[in-house]
Order: sequence, then structure tokens, then C-alpha cells
Amino acid sequence: MNIEKGKICNMQLLFLIASFVQGSVLLIDFTVGITEHQTWMVILAGLVIAIPFFLSYITLAKRFKGMNVVQINDMVYGRFLGKVISVYYIFFLMMTLSFNIRDVGELHITFLMPDTPFIFLLAVFAATCAYAVAKGLEVLARISHLFAIVGIVVPISTFILLVDQMNFSNFLPLFEVPFIKMFHGTHIMLSIPFGETIVFLMIMGSLDDTEHMARNALIGLLIGTTSLLVVSIRNTAVLGNTQAIWTSPSFQSIRLIDIGTILTRMDFLIGIAQTVLIFFKCCIFFYALVTAVSQLLGLKSYSPLVLPLAGIEVIIAATVFQSPVDHASITQDAGIMYSVPLMFLIPPLTLLIAKIRGLPRPERGKGA
Amino acid sequence: MRKKINILATELILCFLMLFMLSGCTGGREINDLEIVIGMGIDKDKDTGKILLTAQVVKEGELGKLSGSGGGGADAKAFWNVSGTGNSVFEAVRQITHKTGNRLFVSHNHAVIFGNDLATEGLQKYIDFFLRAHEMRPTAMILIAENRASDVMDAKPETEKLPAMNIAKLVKAYGFTSHFYKVNMKEFASCLMSETKSPLAPLVGVSQDKDSEDIYVSGMAVFKKDKIVGKLNEHETRGLLWVLGEVKSGVLIVSSPNKEGNAVLEILEAKSKVKPEIKEGKIVINVRINAETSLSEQTTSENLATIEAFEKMQDAQAEIIRHEIMMTFDKSKELNADIFGFGEMIRKKYGKEWKDFKDNWDEIYSTIKLNIDIDVKIQKTDLLKKPAAQKEEGK
Amino acid sequence: MFRYISKIIRYWSLKNKNKSQDTAPGKVNNEPLSSDLKRNLEVIKGILRDSSDVTFHEFNFGHERKFKGALVFINSLTDKNEIHKNILQPLMYDVLLLKKDVSMDFSKIDTIGKNLISIAGTNKLTLLNDLLDHLLAGSTILLVDGSKEALAIECHKMESRSIEEPGTEAVVRGPREGFNENVNVSIALIRRKIKDPDLCVEKFKIGERTRTGVYIVYIKGVANPELIEEIRKRLSRIKVDAILESGYIEQFIEDAPYSIFPTVSNSEKPDKVVSKILEGRAAILVDGTPFVLVVPMLFIESFQSGEDYYSRPFLASIMRIVRFLSYIISTLGPAIYVALTVFHQELIPTQLLISIAAGRERVPFPAILEALLMIFTFDILREAGVRLPKAVGQTIGIVGALVLGQASVEAGLISPIMVIVVSSTAIASFAVPAQTDSGTILRYLFLALAGLAGGFGIIMGLLATLLHLASLRSFGTPYLWPIVPLNFTGLKDTFIRMPLWAMPKRSSVIVWNEKGSHRQSPGLAPSPYRKDSDGSK
Repeated sequence: MNIEKGKICNMQLLFLIASFVQGSVLLIDFTVGITEHQTWMVILAGLVIAIPFFLSYITLAKRFKGMNVVQINDMVYGRFLGKVISVYYIFFLMMTLSFNIRDVGELHITFLMPDTPFIFLLAVFAATCAYAVAKGLEVLARISHLFAIVGIVVPISTFILLVDQMNFSNFLPLFEVPFIKMFHGTHIMLSIPFGETIVFLMIMGSLDDTEHMARNALIGLLIGTTSLLVVSIRNTAVLGNTQAIWTSPSFQSIRLIDIGTILTRMDFLIGIAQTVLIFFKCCIFFYALVTAVSQLLGLKSYSPLVLPLAGIEVIIAATVFQSPVDHASITQDAGIMYSVPLMFLIPPLTLLIAKIRGLPRPERGKGA
Repeated sequence: MRKKINILATELILCFLMLFMLSGCTGGREINDLEIVIGMGIDKDKDTGKILLTAQVVKEGELGKLSGSGGGGADAKAFWNVSGTGNSVFEAVRQITHKTGNRLFVSHNHAVIFGNDLATEGLQKYIDFFLRAHEMRPTAMILIAENRASDVMDAKPETEKLPAMNIAKLVKAYGFTSHFYKVNMKEFASCLMSETKSPLAPLVGVSQDKDSEDIYVSGMAVFKKDKIVGKLNEHETRGLLWVLGEVKSGVLIVSSPNKEGNAVLEILEAKSKVKPEIKEGKIVINVRINAETSLSEQTTSENLATIEAFEKMQDAQAEIIRHEIMMTFDKSKELNADIFGFGEMIRKKYGKEWKDFKDNWDEIYSTIKLNIDIDVKIQKTDLLKKPAAQKEEGK
Repeated sequence: MFRYISKIIRYWSLKNKNKSQDTAPGKVNNEPLSSDLKRNLEVIKGILRDSSDVTFHEFNFGHERKFKGALVFINSLTDKNEIHKNILQPLMYDVLLLKKDVSMDFSKIDTIGKNLISIAGTNKLTLLNDLLDHLLAGSTILLVDGSKEALAIECHKMESRSIEEPGTEAVVRGPREGFNENVNVSIALIRRKIKDPDLCVEKFKIGERTRTGVYIVYIKGVANPELIEEIRKRLSRIKVDAILESGYIEQFIEDAPYSIFPTVSNSEKPDKVVSKILEGRAAILVDGTPFVLVVPMLFIESFQSGEDYYSRPFLASIMRIVRFLSYIISTLGPAIYVALTVFHQELIPTQLLISIAAGRERVPFPAILEALLMIFTFDILREAGVRLPKAVGQTIGIVGALVLGQASVEAGLISPIMVIVVSSTAIASFAVPAQTDSGTILRYLFLALAGLAGGFGIIMGLLATLLHLASLRSFGTPYLWPIVPLNFTGLKDTFIRMPLWAMPKRSSVIVWNEKGSHRQSPGLAPSPYRKDSDGSK
């Protein structure tokens, strides 16, 4: 039995995915250091490569209608192996969530509130996430379009405000960055905004109608990617070769806004947008995490897990890295490796096995 | 039921976190505790060889009084130049707290002025703080003092209460003459990072007129890597700006067609297109400039508002512009500093060939040819159709 | 651990429920009336023995005065003239005009009611309980010896105000009448506007002791029957001894009792209530108060005013936006000021920062304390001003503005910019009267958050508020509709107000069937050149 009783509709899925992808906007910064002015290509390449995998997630969710990934694993791989894979999935969720929570903390510590205790920021953020998750998936889905609007409006408005400072020759020469770096960058892009959509395997089971799911999910993915592209193009066009040296290119480019000496100091725009978008992303992760864990433990409701898990996440987030340098290098190199099998091997494999074994069998559809 | 309790518990925790406020440990700083820095000057201390940092701090109380009811404090300075020394910029900044008692707040720093001695030594090691410190904004302007930066900071302007604000205002007004150019931290850093492009920064100095000291900004300092190698005068700077397409306005003086006097023209608009080309291994840069001007003044009685006169003046203007550009170009070759950024343009357009040029760019730079194509149009004659002079015979 | 806590709480709540069932007020008094007049009177007298304003009037009537009867009524509630003219006179004198041979058995209450009583509105009663109900509601009870039934005759005398302009929702353009404490007047005001046979007025009596009349008013076919059923269900589970104001009802039927946002709206103006009834909502009228409840409530209703629809759409749209901005200013104003001046000084333009710093130079308090002090002072002033007579209220305003505001700035206790921030907040808070409560609470909350964690705190607070609002429902209707969930038809009347002819459909979230969704036929946009309008001339 699926642990979430709430239902979401296709339109909400579209906005959920769009704002989820937009939530990775802060993480473009990891790639910028590697691929410099060709980041936009990396984003597009990541998207193109990610689409087949993304479709495999959707096919999986369609095939196992109304089930989440833990149930699917149990059914396809059997009790024991299924549990092992689910634990892997949960491990991935926990780590990624804590990285994201840490990102918010670092963003605020670095730019907006340097004197505030780090752990305090993390705790407030995680508590708000917990509050959101305690409200349930339906509420999150219902407000998703507001986040998607923030994710579209802020990049575009800042883009317009910065148009007169843009120099589009910054994108030239087109193929300067070595292939190996491009490959590295594409890998990061593939894993971080796009591969992470695997968390929707935990959510797609709550969809009321799976018929137009693929189309809506893809549109959502495209909307999200467009925002990322706008941000990346803005940063490159404005900052040029310096974009690789800043901790946060987005922040620096917004700080350059100066229109008639009145429209200046717009940092808050980007601060709000990034915080809010990452918040939403964290909520989705956190929701997936608590439902997955409670499904695994066979609980009736996930709510007893919300607060303990939030606490654990804060502790992981606060202690997992020593410094932003540590954070960046691990995320760039090792961090994305551990999720590769989960994102790109297991879902197609599951699909294959399910096809061979003819799952789900109609009469067993409800057992778990 | 359980869900409700959980929500309640979360709310309780949120409330509990709020109690942190009472302990006041969440990192707020009251405005009273800030020393708002609006400008900084960095020099080399002559005796010790350390860095001498002069920060211009606003005295809010004095400023408020002056702008408000007037009162007795009209003579009081609204700023306080406080200086500190150290082996690095940051050390000097913290050294200043010995005198202020509060931390310096540099988010509103509008101008950073480097002394000439530091600039000749190399700015690389001093500029890092201004890019790295989270309070510093990339829009802060960078200037080079003709002499010592602290002298510039001390000069008290007549209309503005704060010298640093005055400098910022002066720099932003570069468009009136196009005799210098605004350079902010980000642009300077961008040039520093470039393999070929030479950084530039406007020059600021103090002029002694009778009883008042005035700050003036004019010309640009040219850097090679991070060291100053020369200066561009006003006309040379405009030559540079013509090519960059950054001439906003300015004055062109040409002699009138009958050579009796001068026609003074105001630049209304200028656009440039720069296309690098590689012909038989040589670099040729094609510059096309489109400008529009208006007749603002004439010192001859001849009627200049005729088609023939316009044509002649347009040609003469183009000649002046060409001359300015060539002057600058020759100067840059002399200094061997790629101030135009031709290297970057080649890199962007000819990525493959660039690898050959890259290593000996300095030699190649002196072989670059410049093709200049100028089109100037006189748009209007303002209020007069003819000069206020006696009618000439036959006209 | 949570399971343990939840168990304890559930135990408590169940225990309370049991207790409340035991001690539920209300006397079981279902005795039938007897046919013996004396006995009946004794029983009634026994119950009402300490009420001096109950009149028992025994009399004989009919030819030869062979029938015995009694009138029971409460002096203060009945119109004595009416009793004399229309009850006693026909019974005692007019009956004599009947020919003797007309044999009528006046010991049957029916016969009297049909033949002699010249008042419309009589009820036959058989139970003592009903009799008391009617008596206490102001009816006059006629008892006749030998009949097991009594007759309740309605001849109330209700003192009530005339219809006046309500104090809370004054308008420049629009009807000025307001509801009344007398619920009959209020219903009349609604009836006068909707002359539709489908308008339903359902009566409930709530309150074991007050027996207050509560009426659900709605239009059958437009209002969702599920909504009406839900209201009936929620009303009928109210077991209290007194309902003194509609606020009592509101607190027993609202969806989110712990939320600071109201999920039941109220109004004093008939036009407003009628427009909501026409939209498919249901009004709940309570006897004794001019405030009428309307459910379900949407958050945007707080920002809509009746005048928006009476005046032309352009200014109305601007005013709508002004109200939204006012709400934002009134909740976030001081918080943003504190966040900016304490945490994010780099976001303030240089000149402004210098003037703020100059103003704060002598202020001894931290900004958060300064803001709290000022807001608190404002709340005191407001509370003090509301309760006082108008003339004294003005004095309070002058004392507050001049003495406190100016003097504290001059004394250097408060910075002038803080005075500006707080006073604009105060003014803004009056622009959206329906959300004054939530606005005031949120103001303190956000201020605390801003003092705690600056802009980050405000963002987190906003997110939590948004989540809370998005999870609210009022009688099944999503509270934030049409923003959450998004509905484009609904947005026509949210941030702007489209012309009336451009909004042919009712709010889809409240209307339940296709038939009820049309407000008007489409294509009504006026145009002087249209053919049909020429043809009619």
C-alpha cells in the first residue's frame, strides 16, 4: 500500500518538476569553474542525454501505477535485494538533501549574513522544510506553480536589467574548453539537475492520471532547463572571463545591476529566488526521503519520521564538509559518482526485469 | 491526528528557534555600530614600506546637521579620513579598528584609489581583498592617483560633502568629454585575468587653484599585467574609446572651411565595429566608426550651415578622429600594451590560429595593421540657421 | 515518543468529550399537556414561579361564560393592545354576537383558532416543552379547559433599531443600509434584494438557554447542496447554553480553529451578503447581531470590497492592488526595515543609509526593540481610541501623534525613519479590515523573525505562511483560490477587477454544477454601434 494518500494532477507534476530543476540554479556554479563560457552547452548536452533516462523513470512509474520506488524494488527484485536497492536509494536522498541544505547555509553565510551561526541557519531551514513536508504532498504540489513563477521571473527580469552590460562575444570562441572538461561538466549537469529527478519516482505514484504524464513531465523539465539556461547565459554574458573566479557568479552579476543609480543593490532578488527554489527542491527531497523510509519500515504514516530525519539531515549537512572548497571539489568529483548507478543503471534495469518477468501482475498489484 | 501533532511540534520548534533572538547571537549589527566607508585610498608607507590604507568614513551626525537645519556646524567636515598600516590590505583594514572602535563597513565603498607607487610595483597582490571581501561590491570604481592616494582623499570638494562621493560623481560623468573611462573592480579583474588585454584605470589628481584644492579626473593609466607602464592623455583616451565604441559625448574642434576660425562640434552618438582579420599570417584590424555630431559653436562669421561646409567639416572631423585613434594606437605599440583588447578579439574569432600568436603576442602586437573607416554626420545646428554676423557680399 | 504524546492528547480530548456529554445542558421536559386547565397552569407556574413578568390571565368566555380559558404571556415581550383587541375581545365579546343556536365547542382549541382569533400566525401545541419555547420566544399562549392542546399566538413586541448605516463598512458609492439586531429585519433586507422562490431560509435554534434563532440563507440550485448539508451538520453539533453573537457560531463551525486566518467571513451590509449568496455561498444569520456570517470564505475576499463592483473597473483595479500592497506593508513593513538595517545594510542605497544612520545616532535601543516599542504603542493607541467616545478619541490621536511621535524623536529615543515606517504600517493596516487580526499577529511574528535571522528569517516565515495558507480550506474550498490552485477565470477578479460583462461565470470553486455557473449571458460588452440596439429604438 502506498503511504501517501493524497493525489496530485498532471499540471502540478509539470510545475513540481519545473521548480525542482530550477532549484539547481545555485549548483550551476560548480560547473562554471570547469566549463567557463561553455556552460550553456553543457546544460543543453546534459538535458539531451538526460531525456532518455528521464523517460525511463516515467515509463517505470507508468508501468507500476500508484506505486513508489520502494514498492517497485520489492516487487521486481524480491524482498531482500529490493530492500538493499531501496536503502541505496534512501542513502542517495539523504546525502543529496544534506548537500542542498548545506548549499543554502553557505549561500547565506557567504553573501547575506556572514555573522550568523551556520548551524542556526541550517536548523531554521530544515525546520521549515519539515513543516512543509508535514503538510503533505498535496499542499506542496498545489503551490508548486508559485515557485516555478519565481524561477522564471527572477532570471528573466535580472537578464533584462543587465542587458546593457552584456557582451555576447564572451561566448566566443565556441569550442575552446577541452573535451575532457566538457565531459566532466556534462556529467555534473546530468547528475545534479536532471538525474536527481529520480526522486519523482517516489512522487509519480500519487498521480491521479498517468496518461499525459510523460508530456507534462517533459514540459516541466524544459521549463526548468530554460531557467537554468537564462541564468547561465546571463552570467557568462555579464561576467565574461571572471565568472570562473567568483564563489557565486549569479550573485556577482546581480550586484553589477546599476540602472540610473536607483535600481542598484538588487542582491535580495537573487537571494530570495535561490533560497526559495532550493527550499522547494529540499522539500521534494525531504518528502521523498520520509516516505521512502517509512515505506521501508512499513509504517502507517510518515509523520513520526519528519522531525527526527530533519535533525539528522541538519547534522549531516553541518558536518559533512569542512569548507566550501571541500564541498565544491567533492560535489564536482566524487559526489556525483556515487549516484551514477542509481540514476542511470538501476531504472533501465528495473524496467527490463519487469518486462521479462511480466510485472506487475494484476492480482498482485496491491500487495507490498 | 498524528499529522496535526507533528505540525504542532514543528511549529513549536520554529517558535523555540525564535528564542535565539533574545540571546542576540544571530549576527545582526546595529547601524550605529558601523563605520560606513565610502572611499579607500591605498599607498605605500614611505618609511616602513608597509601598506598605508586611508579609509573615508562618513560622520553621519555632521552630514545630517548640514543637510538639515544648517546650524553652526557648517565648517565641520562630514567625513573622517582614518588610516592604518599593515603588511596586507586586510591587516591595514583591521588595524583601523584601533582608531574607530567599530568594524569598517565597506559595502558602500564607491571608489578605491591606488597610489602611483603601488601601481608601479604591481596591483595583483593588493586587489585580491577588494574582490574577495563579501562586503565589497564589484561595482566599486578603481582609480589611480597621479601621486599619493591619501592626498586625493583629503581634498575637500566645494559642493559635495564627501570627497569619495565626489570622485564617484566625477567618474560617472565621463560621458561629457570622453576623456577618461569608468572602470570597476569586475572589469579590472577581467583584464587582469586576460592573457593579453591591458588593464586601464582612470587617473585622479589634485589641482591647486588659488585657495581651493580641486579633485580632477583625466586620462587613463595603462597597465602591463598588473604594473603601470604609461599614461594616456585625454585625446589618446578618446582615441581608445572611439574604437571601443564607448564615446558618449565630447567636443570636436575643426577649422572652418575658409580657415578663418573654428567650428566646434558636439558628439551626439558614436558606434564602432571592430573586425579582426588574418591576412597571410598578418593581423589586420578593420575599425568602422559611425558618429553623429551637432554644430554647437563657431568662431568664424562664415555661414557653416551649408551642404558644402558640412561636407568639409565632416571630412575634417573624420580626420581628427582618425588622428586620435592612430595616436592611441601608436602609443599602445610604444608601450606594448594591448589596451584595445585586439588579442581577445583574435582569440575569440580565430581560436586555432590564436595558439600560434599566443606565446609571442608582444612581438606580434607591434605588427598589427589598423584599417580605419570613419563616417561622421552632422545632424543639427541647434538654434541658429546662420551665425549672428553681417551679411557677406554675394551670399 | 510522538506516539506517546499523541496518545496522551487523544486521551484528554476523549475524556473531555465524555464529560461534555454528561453535563450537556438542557432539560428533558417532554410531558404532554393535560386537559385540565388548572393542572396545566400549575405546572407552568411551577416552572416560571420566579419570573415576575409572566402574566397568567384566567377568564371565562362563550355564551353563558361556560368555557374556561387562560392566557399566559410575558409582559415585556408582547404587545398588550394586540392581546386585548384580537384575542380577548373576540373571545369574550364578539363571540356573543354569534347566534345562540350556532353550536360551537369552544373547548376545542382548533375551533377557537379558526373562528375567533384574528391574528395570523398561530401554532397548536401539545407538549409542555414546546409551550415554554413559544412562551419564552414571545408568543401568547391560550389554554382552554378540556383541551389537551394549547394555542401559541404570535403577538410579539420587539424593540429594535431602525435600519442605519453600519459603522464598519462605510462606502462612498453603494447602498448605505445595514443589518440589524432583529433577525427578521435582516432577513427582510435580503428578501427585498433577491425576489427568487429558490431563496431558502432555514431556521435552527441553538443555545440551550438562549434558544437563539440561527438562519441559513442560500439559493437552492446555486449553492452546493453538499455545502448546505455540511453547514447543517456543523450547526447541529453545537451544544452550548448561549449564542450571543455570530462570533460564537463562527468559532464552533470554522475549519481551522488554530489558524490566525479567518475561514468564515462576516459582514454588516446586505448588498455584500446578497452578492455572496448569489455567488453560491450561504449566509448564516444570528438573531441579536447585525453581523452575518458567510461561508465559504476565500482569502481574496478580504481584498475585495463591494464598491469595487459599483465603480468602474479601472480605479477599482488600482484600489485592489493598493489593498494587496497595503497588506504586505502592514505585515512586513517593520520586519523589512529591521532586516535591512540590522542584517543587510549593503542593500540600502548609500544616501539613504547615511540618513538612516544619522537619524539613529542617538537612539539607545537596538532596532528590533525600537520597532517593537513603536508597534506596541500604536496598538495601545488604537485599542484606546476604539473604546472611547469620538470626541475623546480625537484627543488620543493628537496625544499619540504629537506627543509620543514627535517628542520621542526629539528626545532621541526613536529614530524619525522608524516613526515613518511604523506609521505607514499603521495606516496600511486599516486598508484591509477583514485581515486586521492576521495582519497584526503576522507583524509581530515577522518582526521577531527579522530580528532573529534577517532576510532569511523573513523568507522562511513567508514560506511557512504560504504553506499554511495553501493547506487551509473553508468548507471544502481551497482558501487561496484562485492563486493556489491556479485558476485563470478566477484571476479576472483577483489582482485586478475585470469589467462585469467580462466575467460571465461565477467562481468555479464554489459553484457546483454547470447550470449554476452562469452569472449572465456572454457578449454583453456595451457598444453603441451594435445593430440590435439600433433596432430597438
